[in-house]
Order: sequence, then structure tokens, then C-alpha cells
Amino acid sequence: MTLLLEMKNITKKYGDFTANHNINFDVRKGEIHALVGENGAGKTTLMRMLYGMEEPTSGSIMINGKEVHFHDPSEAIRQGIGMVHQHFMLFPSFTLAENIVIGGEPKRSGLFDRKAAADKVNELGQMYGMPVDPWRKAGDCPLGVQQRTEILKVLYQGADVIILDEPTGVLTPSEVKELLQSIKRLAAQGKSFILITHKLHEVMEAADRITVLRDGVITGHMESNTTDEEQISRLMVGRDLIPMSRVANEPGASVMHVQNVTLAGAKGAKPLLDNVTLTVRQGEIVGIAGISGNGQSELLQVISGLVQPDSGIVELNGKDVTGDSVRAIREQGMAHIPEDRYMWGASREATVLDNGLMGHQHQYKKGGLIQSHKLRKVVSGWVERFAIKTGSLDTQAQFLSGGNLQKLIAAREFAQNKPFLIAAEPTRGVDVGAMETIHGELLAKCKAGDGILLVSSELTEILKLSDRVLVMYEGAIAGELSAAEATEEQISLLMAGGKRQL
Amino acid sequence: MTRLKRNLFALLQPIIAVIIGLLAGAIAIVLLGDSVIDTYAEMWNGAFGSFYFLTNTLTRATPIILTGLGVALAFRAGFFNMGSTGQMVLGGLAAAITALYLPGPGWMVLVVSLVVGMAIGGLWSLFAGYMDAKFGINLLISTLLLNYIASLFAGYMVAFPLKDQSGSAAMAQTPMIDKSIWLPKLFSGMSLHAGFILAIVAAIALYIFIQKSVSGYEIRMLGNNPFFAAYGGVKRGRMMVVAMLTSGALAGLAGAGEVLGTQHRYLDGALASADYGWSGIMATLLASSNPLGTAVAGILLAALQTGAMGVERNTNVPLEVASVIQAVLTLFVSARFGYAFLKRRKEKK
Repeated sequence: MTLLLEMKNITKKYGDFTANHNINFDVRKGEIHALVGENGAGKTTLMRMLYGMEEPTSGSIMINGKEVHFHDPSEAIRQGIGMVHQHFMLFPSFTLAENIVIGGEPKRSGLFDRKAAADKVNELGQMYGMPVDPWRKAGDCPLGVQQRTEILKVLYQGADVIILDEPTGVLTPSEVKELLQSIKRLAAQGKSFILITHKLHEVMEAADRITVLRDGVITGHMESNTTDEEQISRLMVGRDLIPMSRVANEPGASVMHVQNVTLAGAKGAKPLLDNVTLTVRQGEIVGIAGISGNGQSELLQVISGLVQPDSGIVELNGKDVTGDSVRAIREQGMAHIPEDRYMWGASREATVLDNGLMGHQHQYKKGGLIQSHKLRKVVSGWVERFAIKTGSLDTQAQFLSGGNLQKLIAAREFAQNKPFLIAAEPTRGVDVGAMETIHGELLAKCKAGDGILLVSSELTEILKLSDRVLVMYEGAIAGELSAAEATEEQISLLMAGGKRQL
Repeated sequence: MTRLKRNLFALLQPIIAVIIGLLAGAIAIVLLGDSVIDTYAEMWNGAFGSFYFLTNTLTRATPIILTGLGVALAFRAGFFNMGSTGQMVLGGLAAAITALYLPGPGWMVLVVSLVVGMAIGGLWSLFAGYMDAKFGINLLISTLLLNYIASLFAGYMVAFPLKDQSGSAAMAQTPMIDKSIWLPKLFSGMSLHAGFILAIVAAIALYIFIQKSVSGYEIRMLGNNPFFAAYGGVKRGRMMVVAMLTSGALAGLAGAGEVLGTQHRYLDGALASADYGWSGIMATLLASSNPLGTAVAGILLAALQTGAMGVERNTNVPLEVASVIQAVLTLFVSARFGYAFLKRRKEKK
């Protein structure tokens, strides 16, 4: 295979901080090259240089043996480099065709020719085996289709090397499978991919070669058929991960019980929650799997008191808390790691300290004032224990990386030390080390006899931690599996609305 | 940034804004063909040039600071209270009525009048909050429109039922309030009254409340991200009552202070036409809703206004040059929002 792209001795410094140190990275024609590493390892920095969003401090980039210098992404695009960002950059109110041809619209007598655009998109879809409906609005499409659209957009721009930044974060298992198949097919047709991810089983499934980054340097470089997930994770983290085992507790009394909860949807639509009944007992982790948007968010909002159900009751520690305020429910014994850290879990403008206080504000009150001295000590303790990287306690939350903010939120809720914890996407966007810490805390809490309701779109996380797995589909519990019998296939089937098969 | 630095920054911001405003004013003065230095020297003299002018400026700053503080608290909670003028007018009217008709020793009537002024201002503000919570009427619009109702109602009251019949002048105003009920002057022969002390105390108290108290924390978080606040058990309704009531009460106090300290009667239009309410909103915006910064900005804005009067007295430059400076300040406030946005985007990268 011919060498298409080469990054030689790339170093990138921000002041005293070296984000990339002497990196050599290359891509051959028709290969899938995975770039793995924890958050902050320097993957994104390296790709930003390749995509013309940053310039290297030293080192060179060669394309087809010729040295190139990119000053902005449009130059990189002209040289055949395309990037699909982690957060999709589509206009929701535009059709897929309009989104794909944007910046290079086919024209007829000076006007945008929508028909030609749609034809072009159909042709591209056919050629690369990724068909989409060109006339559909992007906002109406499932995330898998939106991603396909992003890839088609990059192909339309004429990319030969496509950078995929964490492409599977928001996809369902079947969409992930489809995506990996598509890129393998495209690779066979001669396109090259750089796959940035920290999901190792995807790397093992799709990649030809793997480069591992840690703290800005390359710690490993291998062919995928000569390695395994364990070796890669060791290279990523720089130490052996402690294998965590779930010790099955004998579950005790119910800490949280939801009985026949129903929540109506918009007029004429299906109910958001359809007669949901579930129980979480002391010393067990109950996992809720499901494609996002099947009622998980609403269920959590009902349990935590943010939304009142139309019928049904919620019990916490044996007390009916239906209709109680959030504060009353929290005081009755609930802590809550919310699913969306920026919407529910934090205030970007507020300091780390203020974000840490939320939910604890009445415990640190004396004469109406905040006991800030005491609070500072406690929050410093969290920062140390969870290795939260922050300038100081007075740094605004918006300057923390997503993973570090997630650790802060998790620490805050663990510190509540309540008998019932909602853990919704507790490790979304955090790196392997932090994931290990949070998982360890969850298991320890469970072992101490508390009940945990775990909601996650990561099946591996559900399977690793849960004693029981419930699957939600269209607002109802589609099935329940015990830890022993739950497999990824069975859960996937229930998630997609299939009937439970034994 | 440390907390101290952030507070200093909040104090610095209005000063920088005023300097930029003065630069723009300088251009206007040059275009008029006058000496910038002379004009600004007159402006300085008019605002701070003598003890008399200084106290005059602080007198004018008093209602601006108080309304500004009220708006600052509401802004912090995420509620756009644009109704400080109306709250101030009703507070002033209520204080005047109490002072005129409540029997008792002077000091007691004074205190009760201030409290009644605050209560009425607070309730008027809360009424808008109630309509928001109950009927979903946008607070920005309701507070704005309630200003007209308040001003016109007060105008009717002093034009008819409460009209001063004793004097020969046919002005729409209440009779003079008895001297024993006036807010005491701080210095004899000067206009500055005890209301200024109340304003400074209120600024410090509000600063402590917002930064240090649990309720203040809940109000800040509600303003930053209402979802986060709801998640953490903050009750929006209760916080709205606290924020709107206090906000209106501060505006009411501004009105009561003007009536009991400066006008000594309720004179139709005196509170609304001086634009104290709007200057207060301006002070708050300049200081990013920081109470201490709002007090500083309030004094600067008052200085600009009293200084401009000095300019008009002693030079050919018209009073309107102050409007130019104020307009540039307004622009600066909106530009600063844009700058903060750009900075955030840059730091994200």
C-alpha cells in the first residue's frame, strides 16, 4: 500500500505545555488507522494540525511525498483531507442534500439547483454504499443517518483521508456496526480513515493499524492483528488496569420503587412513559439500557421530582414521594448524577466551588450564610481524590474539560452519601482512568448497601456493573434480564423493539 | 481568576467604560469647536469640584444606586425587571401618603413611610412575577408596561384626590411633608441626605447576600442555569418571590428616599422624568450585576449628569454632550457582551 500522508516529528507547544512531542504518524492508501488515547493525550491536537486548525511548532506534514502547510481547514480540504467532528455540524432545518453540497452547491443559471444536488447525493450514496434520502430534513433523521450525511459531505468535498473524531459516541449498537462496515467498505474502495476513539473493541474490529498516544507522546504503534485490547489499554493508561469484579450482594429492602408510572406525551403522540414499574433494592445496581429517547430521561425526571407523572407513584425508602419537591426527595435519600452535565449538572459560569455546592447548600448553611471555609476543604478533597484537573476552586466550570467536569459532578453526588443514587451516563466522555475511578466508586457504594439506578447508552458499562438489566423501548420496560443471562445481543434486540427470547 | 481579582475587575469595568465614553464625548466636543480640556474640567468641577457639587452628585446617585441594586438582584436570578421606574414611583407615592397622613412621632412615621414605600414597590414588582408564574406573561414586557400604569396612576392621585390645595401654584403634587419626617441631611446646607447611607449599606448587604448566603447562591444558580438549579432542589417560584420582592423594594426605597429626602412631597413626574430607573439599569449592566460595582457605576453616571449641568452653566457646550457619552456607554455595554462571547469561544478552542 502506498503512503498517502505523513506527519513527521510533529511537536506542538502551548507556552510551556507540550501537547504533542515528536510525533510520527502516517496513513496509507485504503487503510483504517486508529488513533487512541485518553482525554488530553493529544489526539485532537494532532488532528487539528492535520486539518489546518492549528500549525505545528516544529515538524512537517507531507501529502503524496510533497510537504504542505495548512493555514486553515479549507486548504486541508483542498488537499483531500476531511474531518467528521464528534458533534455533528449539520443544519437541522436543511435537507440532507443541502447539508452535503454546502459550500460547493451545483448551480443552474446562477441559482442553487436542488434537483441536481439531490441527484448528486443519490449518486454518491450509491457509489459508496451509504444511501440517504436527499430530501429529508437533517433534524428529522436518526443520529446514524446524520453521521452518514457527515461522511458523504466530506466525500463530496473530495476527501481521500477522512478523520472520524469519536464517531460512535452517540450511535446505537446496530448503527455502530453499520458505520464500521461502511468505513471498511470505503477503505476497500481506496479511501483512508483516521479513527479517533477510546472504544477499544471498535478499534479491534475495524482498524488495520493502531497508534497509541499518552501525554503527547506515542507509546505504541502496531498492526491490529498483533495486539489485543489489554495491551492497548495498558499503553493508553500507562499501567495495568485493576480488573474490577462485581461481587453479587444479597439485595436487601427496596430503596426506590416506581409503580405504574405514566407520563403523557404531546397530543396524539405515544405516552413518554407507559406504565413503568421497577424497584431498586439495597446493595444492587439496576441498569437501564435503551436507545436514547425511549423514555429514560423522563423516567429519571419523574423519580427525581423534576416532572410530575400523570399517574403512578414513586416511593423512596418506603415513603411515597410522588409530587414532592426535588429538595424534599433529595433529603428523603436521593443523589443524582444527571445525564447531561451541561444542561442539568452544572452551571458553566459558576466556579468549581459553586458547582460543588449544588444539592449540599442546606448542609453548609449557618445563619443563612454558606460555610465557605468548610466547603472549600471538602471540594478540595474531591479534586484530589478524583484527580480533577482545574486551575483552582474559583475557576469557572466552563474552563474544565468535559471529563473533569463529569468527575466533579460524580464526586459531588457520591458525597451526598444517600441510600439511593441515580447514575445517568456517569462516564460519558471521561477517559479510561476516570472511568475506572467512577466505576470503582459505584461498586463500592453498592457494596456498602446502597441502591443504584444506572442508565447508560454504553452496553459494556451496563453489563459490567449491573445486577439486573431493564431495557426501555418507547416509554415502557421491554424486558428484564439478570446479570447472568444478559448478553449484548439479547439487550440489543430488546432495545430495537424485538420481543424477548429465551 | 481569584475572587478578589474578579471583584476588582467588576469595579474596574464601569470606570473603563466611562473613560471610553469620555473619549467619544471628546470627539463630539472637538467637532463643536470647543476645548476638550476646558469642557472636561468644567464637567469635573460640576461633579466633584467642590464639596457642594460632590454632595450634589452623591444625592443624585442615591436613587440610581438603589434602583440599580434592585435590577442587579433580579438580573442575577435571571428575571428581567425593567419596571424600576414604576416601582420607584409607587414607592415614592406610598411613602408620601404615609408621611402625610400617619399620626405619630416624626422618626417613627419616617421609618414606617420608608417601609411602606419598600413594601409597595416590592408588591408592584411581585405582581409582574405573579403574572409570569400564573399566566406566563413575559416579565420583560409586563414590568415595562406596569411602569406606565404606575406613573399615570400616581399622576392622577396627585392631580385630584391628593392635590395640594394650600399653595397658589396649581401643580400636580401632594402637600409638603412635615419637616420632622424628612430624611435627615448629612451636612447642613447640602442636599445630601441619609438615603445615601441607606444606598451604600444596601449595596454592601446585597453583595454579602448574593455572594455569601445560601439564598443568594440559589438565586445566582437560577440565573446561570435554571435547569441546574431545579435539579439541585432550588424552588424557582420561591426564588422569584424573593428576587422580585427585594428588587421592587429597593426601587421603592429609592422613590421613598427621593420623596422624604429631596422633594419632601410627591411631585408628579419628578421621579419618572429624571430617568433614575433607567440610569439604575445602566449602572447594573455596566457592572455586570455586581452590587459594589453597581454603586460605583451609579456614582459615575450621576457625576456625568451633574457634571454636564456644570458644563452647560459655564461653557458653550450643550448639556447633550452627556447624552453622547451615555449613548457610547450603552454601546460599550452591548459590545462587552460581544467581547465576552468571543473570548469564551476562543478559550473553548
